[in-house]
Amino acid sequence: MVAGAWFCLLAPLAGSLAIALAGQRISGRQAGWISTLTTFAAFAGATVSFLDLWAAEPERREELSTAYTWLAAGDLRVGLEILVDPLSAAMMLIVSGVGGLIVWYSMGYMAGDDEERRYFAYMSLFVFAMLLLVEAGNVLLLLVGWGLVGLASYLLIGFWHHRPQAVAAAKKAFVMNAAGDATFALAVVLLVWETGALDYPSVFADVGGLSDTVVTLVALGLLGGALAKSAQVPLHTWLPDAMEGPTPVSALIHAATMVTAGVYLLVRAHPVYEAAADVQHLAAVLGAVTLLLAGLVALVQWDIKRVIAYSTMSQIGYMFLAAGIGAYGVAIFHLMTHAFFKALLFLAAGVVIHRLAGEQDIRRMGGLRAELPRTHLAFLVGTAALAGLPPLAGFWSKDAILASALELGGGLGAALLAAGLLGTLLTGAYAFRLYFAVFHGERRELAPEPHGPEAAHVPEHGEGPLSMLVPVGVLTVLAAVGGLLSVPGLWHPFTHWVGEVAEPLVEASARQEYGTSAAAVALALLGLALARAAFLRGRELVALPAAWTLLERKLYFDELYDALFYRPAAALSALLRREVEEPVIERSLDGIGSGTVQVGGEVARVQSGLVRSYALTIAAAVLVLVVVFVAVR
Amino acid sequence: MSGPGVGWYLLVSAALFGTGALGVMLRRSPLIVLLSLEIMLNAANLALIAFARQLGDADGQVFALAVMAVAASEVAIGLGLIVAMARRDLPLDVDRASALRG
Amino acid sequence: MLATTLIVLPLAGALLVALFPLPRLATAGLAFLVALLEVGVWIVAVTRFDFDEGTLQLGTTREWVESLGISYAVGFYGFSLWLAGAAVVVGAAAAGYALFVGRERPRAYHALLLFLTGAVVATFAAQDLILFYAAFEAMLIPLYVLVGVWGGPRRTAATLTFVVYTMAGSLLMLAAVVAFGVTQGTFSLLEAGTSGNAWIFLGFAVAFAVKAPLFPFHGWLPLAYREAPVEVAAVLSAVVSKAAVYGFLRIALPVFPEPVEDLTPLLLALAAAGLVYGSVLAFRAPDLRGIVAYSSMAQMGLITLGVFAFNDLGLDGAVLQSVAHALVSASMFLLVGMVERRCVTGELALLGGMARGRPALATLLLVAGMVALAVPGSATFAGEFLIMAGAYGEGWGYAALVALGIVLAAMYVLRLISAVLHESRGAAVREEALDLRPGELALLLPLVACLLGLSAWPALVSQSSFPGDEPARALEEGLR
Repeated sequence: MVAGAWFCLLAPLAGSLAIALAGQRISGRQAGWISTLTTFAAFAGATVSFLDLWAAEPERREELSTAYTWLAAGDLRVGLEILVDPLSAAMMLIVSGVGGLIVWYSMGYMAGDDEERRYFAYMSLFVFAMLLLVEAGNVLLLLVGWGLVGLASYLLIGFWHHRPQAVAAAKKAFVMNAAGDATFALAVVLLVWETGALDYPSVFADVGGLSDTVVTLVALGLLGGALAKSAQVPLHTWLPDAMEGPTPVSALIHAATMVTAGVYLLVRAHPVYEAAADVQHLAAVLGAVTLLLAGLVALVQWDIKRVIAYSTMSQIGYMFLAAGIGAYGVAIFHLMTHAFFKALLFLAAGVVIHRLAGEQDIRRMGGLRAELPRTHLAFLVGTAALAGLPPLAGFWSKDAILASALELGGGLGAALLAAGLLGTLLTGAYAFRLYFAVFHGERRELAPEPHGPEAAHVPEHGEGPLSMLVPVGVLTVLAAVGGLLSVPGLWHPFTHWVGEVAEPLVEASARQEYGTSAAAVALALLGLALARAAFLRGRELVALPAAWTLLERKLYFDELYDALFYRPAAALSALLRREVEEPVIERSLDGIGSGTVQVGGEVARVQSGLVRSYALTIAAAVLVLVVVFVAVR
Repeated sequence: MSGPGVGWYLLVSAALFGTGALGVMLRRSPLIVLLSLEIMLNAANLALIAFARQLGDADGQVFALAVMAVAASEVAIGLGLIVAMARRDLPLDVDRASALRG
Repeated sequence: MLATTLIVLPLAGALLVALFPLPRLATAGLAFLVALLEVGVWIVAVTRFDFDEGTLQLGTTREWVESLGISYAVGFYGFSLWLAGAAVVVGAAAAGYALFVGRERPRAYHALLLFLTGAVVATFAAQDLILFYAAFEAMLIPLYVLVGVWGGPRRTAATLTFVVYTMAGSLLMLAAVVAFGVTQGTFSLLEAGTSGNAWIFLGFAVAFAVKAPLFPFHGWLPLAYREAPVEVAAVLSAVVSKAAVYGFLRIALPVFPEPVEDLTPLLLALAAAGLVYGSVLAFRAPDLRGIVAYSSMAQMGLITLGVFAFNDLGLDGAVLQSVAHALVSASMFLLVGMVERRCVTGELALLGGMARGRPALATLLLVAGMVALAVPGSATFAGEFLIMAGAYGEGWGYAALVALGIVLAAMYVLRLISAVLHESRGAAVREEALDLRPGELALLLPLVACLLGLSAWPALVSQSSFPGDEPARALEEGLR
């Protein structure tokens, strides 16, 4: 089973290297094929690995495979090792499967771009990094994958690097993630000192023996990394800006896979979090805060991709909520269905943007239902799945989360449940606001000339080439039926599969599930109705101007961070340069020089030029010496 | 060994040395300064020879000879300098020859 | 024997280049060949070196001035062999770049570069304090001339500051060497025992602190790195600064255990200050060289932090980071030189947009930059992680500062990359400015390949730097 996993890991790397090394010798289209096929090859490898695992005895479904010792120092040995278990196998399938579809889609979407080859090299690099992240067999290697997906994300957000906004967004994403990486690294350092090993089995076996403080700090450090990577409050501000990247990138990295890595981490490191229950609950609370905040902000966005980006943040908030209360299988289940329907939404949005020659402002869209019938259907399925309407994928997974919160009970469970339910109302509202604005109403005039970040794409008539339509179709089917892998009261193969790795702390009964489902669907439908009513009257959902401004400025987080971190750092740098470097360090030599000259001038006065006074001085000195010698003797 | 002890010689030598040193320090004519220097050197010579006699070996006398040779060459240069100064109508006053002041 | 060969080969090459009046290109070519041959010899040395043993190898010991207890003793430990490897590789890259650029008065220039390489290798191999001092000083002489004659417009000021700072450090070290030798009766590190004299230790420490440089001894750094010819700056920051690391590892820690223990808080504080201070200044430096120079200072602070954490993790990390930083810093400086050649300036405000149509430049700058900011998975990441883990042993505050350094590094390196490559074309970037030429690629690709190779397997260095792979114990036992 490890052979398939290794193949899965290395195929995209080989693809990326092949494209990079071939350079100008291959066309952009060939690069696209290399990238697509290697990603699907990775999917095949993952499938093989999964089937092997499926066939194995449940208690033997865990294998650690080490290639070689990557880093060694003193007693510390960190191998290049992968862990194949139900959790990583599920993630491998999601990443390589959805990844393959999206890379394929890119071939149509990016056709004609000047730098297609570079794009596909980056995409393959990302798939490799993401697979490394989910397959890593020790914490340090997980951190390596963690950082490399951040790198690929930076490269792809800033893919159109002639646009200042894209470059700024890329830098912002990288720096915020570097902050997360730093806290993650500190947590790993703590583990090195406290457990002496970094592979999951040894680390998790040792967690029980650690002091509360240490466990809490480790959990906090890991949580910092997870918050940054998954764009959760308070490290969330980079994700909306990241929409500067090409749309397939947003679909793959900033919706389906990379941003959900934080959830994977919470589940993977669940023994640590169970030992530090406060931190685990903190993760749940932050998830709840994020899902509300992002849902609110999504109500006032005009950019089609930004609306979806905020919905991503919001949905990941649900996953954090689930992982934070110990419903691990459910969290990963929502991760999977979310990957389906959110990738679908982005790709369908990509078709729209493609059709409108780079237009992203929903105020200039409308009435596209007739023009893009198939895309309309796909988008509708995605929207309904996002809103959690039965029987689509999002319905099953989101409601399982809410039921788990109900099962948890107590004040925390009640608060989380309330937040989650309120979130479904918001989700219904913003999701259908977007849907109506884009596909209903009257067809607006196209902008006079192509503009926006994706303007490089020549508008095509129809809904794009086959390479774009087929992945959208496949994802539509997955978003429709993917949720049937877990039906309350009937069967739960998926959550049980993941549960083999992470035994859930809460398991809702079927009755609880159907109860919360009814409430959630009612609220989502209410949101739908509100959105429809507002749309028909030509009004916005947020009527209060002050609230609108507050939300449009994203609750002033950007301004706050600018004032808290960037400006002080820049000011400190300027201050050090002005007050220390230039006057003290750089002038110190001048000071030494002029000081020497001055002292020399003073001393020179002794040199009177009067021979007789010299003689007198010598005589006096001799006399003193004689006296000294005599006295000393 | 007969004659006065080494102490007497040293006394004379010290007196001579003091005379010379005072001359160097007090007089302003370069010629006199040079003469005073000679007196100091000879005071040292006297001490050397006295010790040589006291210890009964020739080292001190040899050294005195060397000092005389040095003194002779020193006088030659010194007198040459004084003559050169006189020729250029420079004042023969050591206090006014202070071009080396710092 | 091989240690001696490694020292003598470039010196002989320097003599050859200086004496034979070959044509311009032939002179530079000959020097480059000698530098490559040196790399070859080093590879042979690596294959002969028994890393499991890890003690002093490939060495020679001869009496030199018997009455004073001075000997010609050279040889390599694991860590010094790696440092020497970085030195010869960077030296070859520098010689190649000088050949490519075509410096004025090539005989003198190339002879000095080769001499510099020889002196650096001798420093890393020296096992006798007088020999070490001689090599340490011999390293500086070619640098004075290379900066002072071939440097930029403010070269005189740069040289003067450099001379004053390094001389001050060196004289203190000379005093310390003499005091140590007189009290011990021998200058040989192989025979001398330990010393508890804090003053002697301080003499050494200040010299190394100037050379690294540690805060606040870095007054020479901005000018020297800005005014030196770019390949000299590369050697200076990549390799010459590592003489300090060697000094700390070979002399300070094994020979002065008690003073080190007493002064560790001070040294750690200085190292941490240098790390933060360099990072913060690099973050707002107005030009390419400023960023690379201050980042180099930050890295040296980091490495010193690892050294004085004085545990297995920190020491192995410091050696790994030294080698990785040497390679990355040389790559960055050469890339800066290549950008400056095309745009005549390194002012960030005047650059930009160079990625468009110049894929090789963009790719290599990105790769080098990403390694420089220690993206997880890179050799520098491995080094920084080990140092961070080591520093944690001295207090969590130090580990947190290393983490802060990682974030700041991301900020200043991305600023550099974007300023050169991204957004619209800068005022100083001509439309027709070329992508990297094959000659430039031939120099950079091997350096970057070394970096990527080391990233794939950092254990190669970290695992084989000290006898018995127990750094702290080996140093406590005086590296015997």
